[in-house]
Order: sequence, then structure tokens, then C-alpha cells
Amino acid sequence: MNAFLTIFKKELIDTLRDRRTIIAMIIIPLALFPVIFGIWTTIQKSMVKKAKEKTLQVAVISNDSETQKLIEIIIQKEKFKLIENVPEDSVRSFVQNDSLDGVFVFSKTFNKRVENLRAGRIKFYFKSSEGDNIEKDRMKDLVDKFEDSLLSARFEKLDLDKAISTAVKLVEVDITSKKERIGKAIGAILPYIFVIFCFMGSMYPAIDLAAGEKERGTIETLLTAPVSRFVILLGKFGVVVLTGISSALVSLVGLYLVVLQFGEIPPEIIDVISGIFEIKSIILLLSLLLPLTMFFAGVLLSLSMFAKSFKEAQSIITPFNFVIILPVLIGLIPGVTLDPKTALIPILNVSLATKEIVAGTIDFWLLIEVYASLAVLAGLSLFLSSRIFLRETVIFRG
Amino acid sequence: MIEVNDLRKQFKLTRQQKKELGRASKNGTVEAVAGITFTSKPGRVFSLLGPNGAGKTTALRILATMLKPTSGSVKICGFDVQEDPQEVRRRLGFLTGSTGLYDRLTPNELVKYYADLHGMDKKVFEKRLDEIYTRLDMHGFAKRRIGKLSTGMKQKVSITRTIIHDPEVIVFDEPTAGLDVISARSIIQLIRDFREQGKTVIFSTHIMGEVSLLSDDLAIIHKGKLCYNGSYKDFVDQMKTNSLEDEFIKLVEEA
Repeated sequence: MNAFLTIFKKELIDTLRDRRTIIAMIIIPLALFPVIFGIWTTIQKSMVKKAKEKTLQVAVISNDSETQKLIEIIIQKEKFKLIENVPEDSVRSFVQNDSLDGVFVFSKTFNKRVENLRAGRIKFYFKSSEGDNIEKDRMKDLVDKFEDSLLSARFEKLDLDKAISTAVKLVEVDITSKKERIGKAIGAILPYIFVIFCFMGSMYPAIDLAAGEKERGTIETLLTAPVSRFVILLGKFGVVVLTGISSALVSLVGLYLVVLQFGEIPPEIIDVISGIFEIKSIILLLSLLLPLTMFFAGVLLSLSMFAKSFKEAQSIITPFNFVIILPVLIGLIPGVTLDPKTALIPILNVSLATKEIVAGTIDFWLLIEVYASLAVLAGLSLFLSSRIFLRETVIFRG
Repeated sequence: MIEVNDLRKQFKLTRQQKKELGRASKNGTVEAVAGITFTSKPGRVFSLLGPNGAGKTTALRILATMLKPTSGSVKICGFDVQEDPQEVRRRLGFLTGSTGLYDRLTPNELVKYYADLHGMDKKVFEKRLDEIYTRLDMHGFAKRRIGKLSTGMKQKVSITRTIIHDPEVIVFDEPTAGLDVISARSIIQLIRDFREQGKTVIFSTHIMGEVSLLSDDLAIIHKGKLCYNGSYKDFVDQMKTNSLEDEFIKLVEEA
């Protein structure tokens, strides 16, 4: 035990003094989310503000007298400008080249159909945008008001109460709680954080403590110390696991900073994110993280030990960054849920279980299955790395 | 005391090595050490002389328990390297010319690390550390990061790490490789001091000057086999050429 602690302590000090590890383990996980959210929110806010405050140029093409009501609404409404005398055959090109934001073209039978208590047709030309379509909604709102005025006139003419137009009122009762719904959505990004940062946080220490040690020529002297090779490996393994878990936890702190930094996030989302920081959730998430990181540590140390140099280890391990993302992506596909089969698939099971934990809907027995699966894999990866560490041809390769 | 008896070590060849060696490779293996026998006694310096690739490093790595022999036996202070590797390591100090150090640690941290691995008592460690630091004039840089030290300073740190636990047997594998004349001289002096202290010292080299300066006993190794094994004095007395270098080349060519 003493030898393990001695090796663990030394490897930890050595690792924490490595700039690359600090960047991968603390700086990137801590800063990534606040920076991404910061840039995204700033751009989003500015786009929304621009769309809301822009004076929209709108044209109305019609020969009917009823059109006048819509024109009045447009003129009275702030941040709208009515453009007159637009030829009908130029509507598409004007909207296309942004000379106009929207055009309402009344059908020739509009007046007649409205008088006959039927629906008059208006073609609405606009350019849709990705996302919220705020400009379109603002223009559509003009027509809604116009329709409302026509309906009021129609009901008055018929001497009827406008309320009779509603025959059914659908009251939706979604038994999925808001926390569950939003939790599953947010839970979907958590596996990214866990899996990727666990891996990234483990990667550099594993390379440095295995391939780096070989490259520096320090492995020879370490092997002449009166300590078994398995204990040496355990000391290294412990540090890699610790850095991997720390990296994932630091990324959670980064996520929490996002909540503190951007107060305009809906309260339901803040509730869910705050829920992640409850002791119960943290314990459950940590219990998933531990075997996952152990699995990564064993695999990474094995690969690094096999490499002759730091560079070779990097070349071998870098493609695995993409390999581990695949199961996480599968976990995002709608309909893929945690069941007895998916609970056995590494990484995917962590991805799905994390979602369920955050949403508060995790099934106890499936969680146990996930733990069992991860524990077996963690054990196997440690066994593999110990076998590799005992092989002379690997240690003295090159 | 080091007792080596009919020591052999075979390595499996990689595909690339098989291609390079062609017919020279037997059954896809190469015998780096091919049945060597020698004894290194306390208070004497045993030199293992041989050209590059002769099998010196492999033999010394087996002595230091890093590699397992294919056959034969090695005993260090009465402990078999295969049966009691931990006991062997407790009594052994190992230094090579290519020994690396942890650049992000200070000499103090590094030496303490190895002392802890050897289970040294704190007071004994502190006393011994002070003695070595004083002797090697290391107090001035003991708290600086190793990565920022000069080659000579690093070599002193390596020496301290090797001898901090006061080993009975010290193995030097080409310890002066890559060092300047002054640093190399200090290593030579250190080896002499260890001999005076009654320690068993074995060192490998391909530099003839070092052999003549240090050797009490000598073994010449070539292609994994010993061409000579005896006292240095006897070797010099029976030389048929004018210099140690010529005699060495003659022996190697005849082997």
C-alpha cells in the first residue's frame, strides 16, 4: 500500500506539473462551455433583437376595398413601412433580393368570398430563415389582426356572439413532467461532457506516464526499485483515473458557470441543471464515471505502453477520440433507450443512463446492469494493461 | 557478490528484424546472451567490455531483474534474480548512460521518491542525502526542477538516486556515455570510491581507457559469449599485442 501511495503521489505531482495535462484536464473543460454558450447567446440575442427591431417593408396587392383595413393596420403598426405600387409580376424578385420583407397578394375573388361568409385567400410572400422566423411571425400577426376585424364584422352582421366560433377547446395534459422532458434533453449533452472529457482528461497523463516514461528512459530505473510491476502500474492507473474524473467534474463546473453567467436561461432548464448538482445526482453520475474512467485508463495505458514514444502514442490514441463519440451519438437517436441490451454496451450505456439520471427516471436494476457491465470492462482493461506492462518485448520495444 | 552461471537470453525477432538478419536468425530468435558465466566480488570492480550489440546491456538488465533469463542463473548477494527479484532490487543500484530523470521534479523530490520505494527510514534518508549532496556539491540546485539543470548536474542527480539506499551491488551500464571529460572523470572516481567501500561494482563499457583505469576483473563479451574472463592483471600480462585496444580487437576477430 505504501509503495502504491508513493508511486501515486509522485505520478500525480509529475502530472499536475505538465502544462498539456492542465490544459486538457482543467482549462478546456472549465472554459469550453461558458465560451461556447457565451458566443452562442450573444449571437442569438443580437439576431433576435435585430429581427424584432427591424422596420419591415411590406406591400399589399389588391383591387378590393376590403384591403384598406389591412393597409390601415400596417400603417398604424410601429416598425412597418407600407410600400405602394409594387407590380405583381415583380413580387418574387423583390422579396428574393430583400427589397421587400413581405407581400400580401389578395385573390381577385377575395371580397366576394368574404361577403359570402367564406374564407378569402391571401398569398403571403416571404423569405424564411433558420430558427425562429421572428420577421415572418410579425408580418403574419398583421393578417391575424385583419382576420379578426373581418370576423368581428361578420359576427356583428349575423348578430351572433363571436365565442360560438369555438366548438372544441383541447386541454393538453402531458404526464411527462417538465423536469423529465427538459432533463432528457439536457441529459443528452451530459454524456458528451462525461465521455469526451473523461477520455481527454485521461489521455495525456496516460501517454506521459507510459510512453513518456519509456521515451525519457526513466522506466529502467523505476523497474529496478523493489516494487512489483503491478503496483507501479496501479499507481499510474490511479492517477489516470483521477485526472479523467477530475476533468469530467471540472466540465460540470463549467456548465454550472453557464447557468450563473447567462441568467436568461428558462427557469425549468436552470432547475434541471441545478438538479444535476444535487448530492444524489452527483453520487450517481460519479458512480458511472468511475468504472468508465477505469475502463479508459486501462485501455489508454495499454496503448501508450505499447508505443515507443509520446508522438507514436498520440498517433495511436487520437483516432479513438472519434471511436468513443459513436456510441454517444447512437444514444441521441430517438427511440434508443436504456434496456437490458443497451445497458451492456459500453459508453452507450453511460450515455443513456446519464439521461435517465438527470431526468430522474432511472430504473434501479438497469443501473445495476450498467455498473456490472462497466465494472467487468474496467477489470478487463486493467488486466490487459497489467499483462502488457509485464511483457519485456513491450517495455523495451524499440 | 554477483554470481552468473551459464546465462542465456533469447529474443523473438520482429518481422523487420528477421528480414534484416536473414539466415543469421535461428527459428525467428536471436541469442543476445549465449551462456556466460562469471563472478563479481565485493571490493572489486568487474568490467564488462564489448563492442556495440555484444550483449552487455542485456546481461546487465537481467542482473537488474528487468529482463528474465531464458536459462541459467544469476545470484546477487545470494538471492536469485528470478526467485527473489525484490530482494535483489533492494541490494542493487543501477545507472546507465541513457538513464532519464523526471524533468518536472526537483532532485530532492526525485531522490525521496526512490528512497520511499526502497522503504528508507526518514532519518537515515536525510543523513545519507546530506552526505551525498555534500560530497557531490549538490545543495545549490537540490530544489530546482531537473529539466532546468545542466547535463553534469543531472548526472549527479542520477548518481544520488542510484546510491541513496546504500546498495551492496552497483551496476553501471556505459555510465559515461554522452558525458564530457570532467563528468566522465567524476564517475570514474565514484566507482573507485565504491570499490574502497567494499561494494561489488560491475560496469560495462566499450571505452578501453576506462577499463585500464578501473578494472580488477575483466570479461570481454562478443556476440553474447565471453572471449575472456579473468583478472585484469592476468589479461595485461598475457597480451600478445602492444595495447589493450589491439588485444581487444584481436580477441573479437578471433571469436
